[in-house]
Amino acid sequence: MRLPMLAAALVAAAPVAAQAPTTLIKNATVLTVSRGTLANTDVLLRGGKIAAIGQNLAAPAGATTIDATGKYVMPGIIDPHSHLMSDAINEGSLSVTSMVRIADVLNPTDRGIYRAAAGGVTTINILHGSANTIGGQNATVKLKPGRTVQEMLVPGAPPGIKFALGENVTRKNSSTVIVQGQSPAPRRYPTSRMGQAEVLRDAFTRAKAYRAEWTDYRARTARGEKGLVPPRTDLELEPLVEVLEGRRLVHAHSYRADEMLMLLNLADEFGFKIQTLQHGLEGYKIASEIAKHGAGLSSFADSWSYKIEAYDAIPHNVAILLRKGVNATINSDSDERIRRLNIDAARLVRYGDLTEEEALRIITLNGAIQLGIEQRTGSLDIGKDADLAIWTAHPLSVYARVETTFADGEVTFDRARDLAAREALAAERKALEAKEGSR
Amino acid sequence: MTLSVRLAGTAALGVLATVPVAAQRAAPTTWAITGARLVPVSGPPIASGTLVVREGRIAALGAGVRAPADARTIDGTGLTIYPGLIDAAGTLGQRSATGGGGGGGGGAAVAAPATGTATRPAGLRPETDVLDALVTDGFDGPHGAGITAALTAPTGGLFQGRSAVIALRSDETAKMVVRTPVALHVAFQGVRGAFPGSLLGVFAEFRQQLLDAKRYGAMQAAAAANPRGTARPALDASLEALQPVLAGTMPVAFNASSEREIHRALDLAAEFKLRAMIVGGQEAWKVADRLRTMNVPVIQSLNFPKKPTNVAADADPEPVRVLRTRVESPAGPAKLAAAGVRMAFASGGASWTDHLGNLRATVKAGLAAEAALRAHTLGAAELLGVADRLGSLEVGKVANLTVVRGDLFSDSAKVTHVFVDGTPRTLDTARPAPAGGRGAGAARAASLTGTWTVTVALEGKEYAITLQLTQVESKLTGTMQGALGTAEITQGELTGEGEFRFTAPVTVREGTEEGVFVGVLTGNAVRGGLSIVGHALGRFSGTRPGPAGDAPRGAGRTRPSTMP
Amino acid sequence: MSRITLATLGGLLLATAPAAAQLGSYNPRAGARETLVIRNAMIHPVTGPVIARGSLVVSDGRITAIGATVTEPTGARVIDANGLHVWPGMMDGATRMGLSEIPQGANATVDASEVGDYTANAQAINGLNPHSAHIGVTRMAGITHVVSAPTGGTISGSAALVHLGGDTPPEMSVVRNAAMVITLPRRGFGGRGGFGGFGGQAPGSTQDADRARERQLDSLRAVLADARAYAAAHAAAKADPSLPRPAEDLVLAALGPAVAGTMPVLFNADRAGDIREAITFAEAEKLKPIIIGGADAWQVASLLKEKDVPVVLTGIMGLPSREDDPYDVNFSAPSVLAKAGVRFAISAGDDGAEVRNLPQVAGMAAAFGLAKEDALKAVTLWPAQIFGVADRLGSLEVGKMANVVVTDGDILEARTRPVHLIIDGRVVPLGSKHEALYEMFKDRP
Repeated sequence: MRLPMLAAALVAAAPVAAQAPTTLIKNATVLTVSRGTLANTDVLLRGGKIAAIGQNLAAPAGATTIDATGKYVMPGIIDPHSHLMSDAINEGSLSVTSMVRIADVLNPTDRGIYRAAAGGVTTINILHGSANTIGGQNATVKLKPGRTVQEMLVPGAPPGIKFALGENVTRKNSSTVIVQGQSPAPRRYPTSRMGQAEVLRDAFTRAKAYRAEWTDYRARTARGEKGLVPPRTDLELEPLVEVLEGRRLVHAHSYRADEMLMLLNLADEFGFKIQTLQHGLEGYKIASEIAKHGAGLSSFADSWSYKIEAYDAIPHNVAILLRKGVNATINSDSDERIRRLNIDAARLVRYGDLTEEEALRIITLNGAIQLGIEQRTGSLDIGKDADLAIWTAHPLSVYARVETTFADGEVTFDRARDLAAREALAAERKALEAKEGSR
Repeated sequence: MTLSVRLAGTAALGVLATVPVAAQRAAPTTWAITGARLVPVSGPPIASGTLVVREGRIAALGAGVRAPADARTIDGTGLTIYPGLIDAAGTLGQRSATGGGGGGGGGAAVAAPATGTATRPAGLRPETDVLDALVTDGFDGPHGAGITAALTAPTGGLFQGRSAVIALRSDETAKMVVRTPVALHVAFQGVRGAFPGSLLGVFAEFRQQLLDAKRYGAMQAAAAANPRGTARPALDASLEALQPVLAGTMPVAFNASSEREIHRALDLAAEFKLRAMIVGGQEAWKVADRLRTMNVPVIQSLNFPKKPTNVAADADPEPVRVLRTRVESPAGPAKLAAAGVRMAFASGGASWTDHLGNLRATVKAGLAAEAALRAHTLGAAELLGVADRLGSLEVGKVANLTVVRGDLFSDSAKVTHVFVDGTPRTLDTARPAPAGGRGAGAARAASLTGTWTVTVALEGKEYAITLQLTQVESKLTGTMQGALGTAEITQGELTGEGEFRFTAPVTVREGTEEGVFVGVLTGNAVRGGLSIVGHALGRFSGTRPGPAGDAPRGAGRTRPSTMP
Repeated sequence: MSRITLATLGGLLLATAPAAAQLGSYNPRAGARETLVIRNAMIHPVTGPVIARGSLVVSDGRITAIGATVTEPTGARVIDANGLHVWPGMMDGATRMGLSEIPQGANATVDASEVGDYTANAQAINGLNPHSAHIGVTRMAGITHVVSAPTGGTISGSAALVHLGGDTPPEMSVVRNAAMVITLPRRGFGGRGGFGGFGGQAPGSTQDADRARERQLDSLRAVLADARAYAAAHAAAKADPSLPRPAEDLVLAALGPAVAGTMPVLFNADRAGDIREAITFAEAEKLKPIIIGGADAWQVASLLKEKDVPVVLTGIMGLPSREDDPYDVNFSAPSVLAKAGVRFAISAGDDGAEVRNLPQVAGMAAAFGLAKEDALKAVTLWPAQIFGVADRLGSLEVGKMANVVVTDGDILEARTRPVHLIIDGRVVPLGSKHEALYEMFKDRP
């Protein structure tokens, strides 16, 4: 029943990473996130991995050495909720669109990749939109400008799926365009939070029946029955079976405490886990219940009051959740805000008294855990992917700026190169205009 | 407004149809063109010779050939005879209502109630057959550009349907058909009012229908093997139509233009082991290695992007990326050829008056003239499975000829005659060539191509944006810049009656959302609505400059350059 | 950095937390004006050098003394600010504070615009909800006063300059009618609103739109000319009672100070062409312009400098608006303007809820080339100067209004916490809707 096509998408990055240059970063203040802060420390990047962390490391032959005296090195920022690179975000024609895959529609040339890298971001979780109760399958991506989609997909990242609850799904704020006498789209079930619960119940009831149908078929085949035509492969229900079997992570857009609780209870009833509540702005009201279920939560740092279901949002959300043992992060959900998640994290030092390491973790390691890729990224540890950024000051300071970002050991942003490229771009424009004019 | 334009177009079609390629009389059908340069493509050129056409076939050709006594003779001095050019993909010979190229139709299929054996909405029916849409008119423009035969394919939606190679003759539709079906045509386009409504759903629907077709085949086989013991599976015309695709006997022609669209097509082809072709392929040269490795040919559109004219002074400057693409595109075919990718040429919806210029542009950008000619004749015939009949000057082959004064690749060359199935048409070079593109020419609806300055009003705020749009048939691509962020627009399409839609990520304050723009075009103005999940309806309105000279009062009062 | 947690203030917060969630009832009330001494603090007057260890005295709403040593009045309440920093309260010159609570899905909480093209008599002060939860959240970040401006139409109405420490709009008012808001029809983008297109007359082309725009401008010029004539007629009638009494007109009367050049006019303009147009228009009409928005102001810096037109930048955190723009084009815009000598202020660019992020916006500008001292001025002294209230606000100086913030660190840093907040000489308890909900739920088992 597991479809072979997923595998093909997930194999390519390794050889590329292996060709990554060797870089030695000298004399930095290294914010490991996992093991505290190391002063005057060197970090060696080789083969796309963090090869060594220590003092007075020798530069291997062919290595580029960067003097980072007075500068800070932190793990690449992980954004657990983004829509960058997406040529389409919502398949809103149905209430259950588990069959659609973000990986099918990624645009590797999106300018936003570079702009996010310039903010020290290396990994993002690209999610389907919140148009419907069960949305599409996610893609976990390393931001590498100039690379192909295959080279950006994180190998081995567990697959996920988007769920959504609340106002966006019930469409209470939405209107759609009606042109030239075209009749309006029929109302789509559900139009209330009651209906959302039933859409989920229906989908997982069908998924269970589907699984049973296959189980039955396999049993009959195993008993030696001949000439059986296998049941239909249903791309809508396959991912839901994977959810039921713990092989696909659920990232559920939700705002109000009651809708989150409904989802957690429904998941408990059907025997699956919610990996993350996305936004979860009222998560602080039910922190213990979230912790008990074992869900993570990815919040906005401090956005609120932009719609009704965000009116009780508070910037202390993450702090309360962390204190109750919930693995919490903050995300951007925005091509703009993704560029300054460090400042968002810094705010939470103030709102709810996170330690500085906790604040860094909610934009790095905690996100890696939520995406199931903590074994390869999210902190500065030997053997992990060389995903990191060099900052001019402590990254929780508003005065800090990214000097250089690395993903899998490749430079994905470098301020000096950027400044030089500005002239080159102007020159290229001139040359192209001349060439075009001469035709 | 749009309606009246369409009526005018129908009238124009009627007028043109009174000048048929083949008059309904018993006139002699043997022709000889004497003293012409012959370029057979399948062999070396002959500096001066005679070509004889008899009963629709090439009866003889060569330096030593003499015109038969019963032949009507054309003095070929100064003329070059080429195999008739083949437009390797498009919508020629179809009713405008179904063909994007016919003038304004096409685009996403609108979900309509199924009739007959159809169980899926229009746009999701691989069984759709272009033969049901054939008409015998609209060939003035293509003839003027030397086109004598074409692959014509249905348009609209994801599974667009099956194509045919047709001869561009204007007597009977049944006589037009050279080969059918040729390929199943697929575009990454949703349907309206049903699943898939977006690019995301398109891929899921493609996979599901192919998986269902596999199972359907297995069930049919099981039923055939054991007719008494098996319940009769219901007929499913769509899944039935996919059987030759799964068996690899019918190619799948993917409409794919950008690099990433081509990769997506190749990914699907690999996933389901399909015989794929790429139709469009503006950026195919960037994928040349993979195309060669997978042995996937490209039906290359020659409708290269053009420099925008008449841009509003306040518009945002076009990105270097766009400029780069425009300069690089005509060199794409040379790069494909160098990489060893099989290739055929299609006009791609460009104005017919521009077509030969576009062909020559590939040569100016480095493609060998022989390779360019081949891609438009024998190479195209090979890809379309008609090389035994079309594509070269050989005895016994169909007498489709393109006759040119001078050399096809010189800018001054003029097509003087075309022969279609042995019937000549003399092109009246004194009359201006049909303007405004494909099909019936002047009937073409206004295009969205251009640079638009647009104001978007959303939840009490206004945002100034610049849209640079390119419309090719019913497909809309382009770039958005300005106060909502910068992005390529996606899923852009014309949906008939001047209505268009596209999506673009819009960043409003701190959030990035998917914006669905739906609007109508009226002359040099657009207006419409912007839908965003969870937000009230936005509105947009914009313009592009009208004809030059229509300067507003006060213009140029103070307008320094936009950069310091 | 000292770590004073908000938990120490818990009693206060609980006392002010309302029993149930309800729009606009969360902001703790400021105390009465009192005489205060803030001692042992590092004082950042903005207009003068930093005082490493000094005192500041507040009395009857004003700053009465500041320095390394001051004479402490007897009976004053003493705040020992050892290890803490004292700053002038920050100001955001481009908000809709109190006019828009929940923009999506709760239209009834939005009072930011009126019906019509020329609603000069609409006054923000009359629509401003003093109990907006945004106010409590904003002042907790050290922002003590804001300009709240209406929107919509060609002339939207007058903006109010208010402090955030009062219970009623009159109490909050610093300048009741601080500026007139005008949005010129956009160049090349279909005129104002551009929405001829829906319902009204659709422009048929860019030239058509430009013509429509010219007509709108003519119409605006006519309104301003009428306003001047109206003011002159009333002045004449007042001076000479024998003249016939001119008719009353609320719109023209409201425009009087603006056309007289005594009240600044806020021109909403982001694109270079629109900024130039606003400058040209203001000059021709003898208005006193302030550009609000100014995304492309860096492109027209020399003109802004030449005409001495100030800008309130609202788009520093915005994405680059052109594909080929440098990634930091908006982050570095303040630095470009500073180098060119253009007067400017930094705004968070938000209606209300996120105005509290103002200091970090200024910090971002500092990360991209603006001097740190200038970043601080851009959210304190400079906006006060631009809005003509630098005699009362914008720095810690004797005689100025006592809008004072005591923090545990650099006021622009996101990690910094407020410790004491004084607005209009009144101590504002630290608290907001957010703190209240935090207290309500943080210990829920």
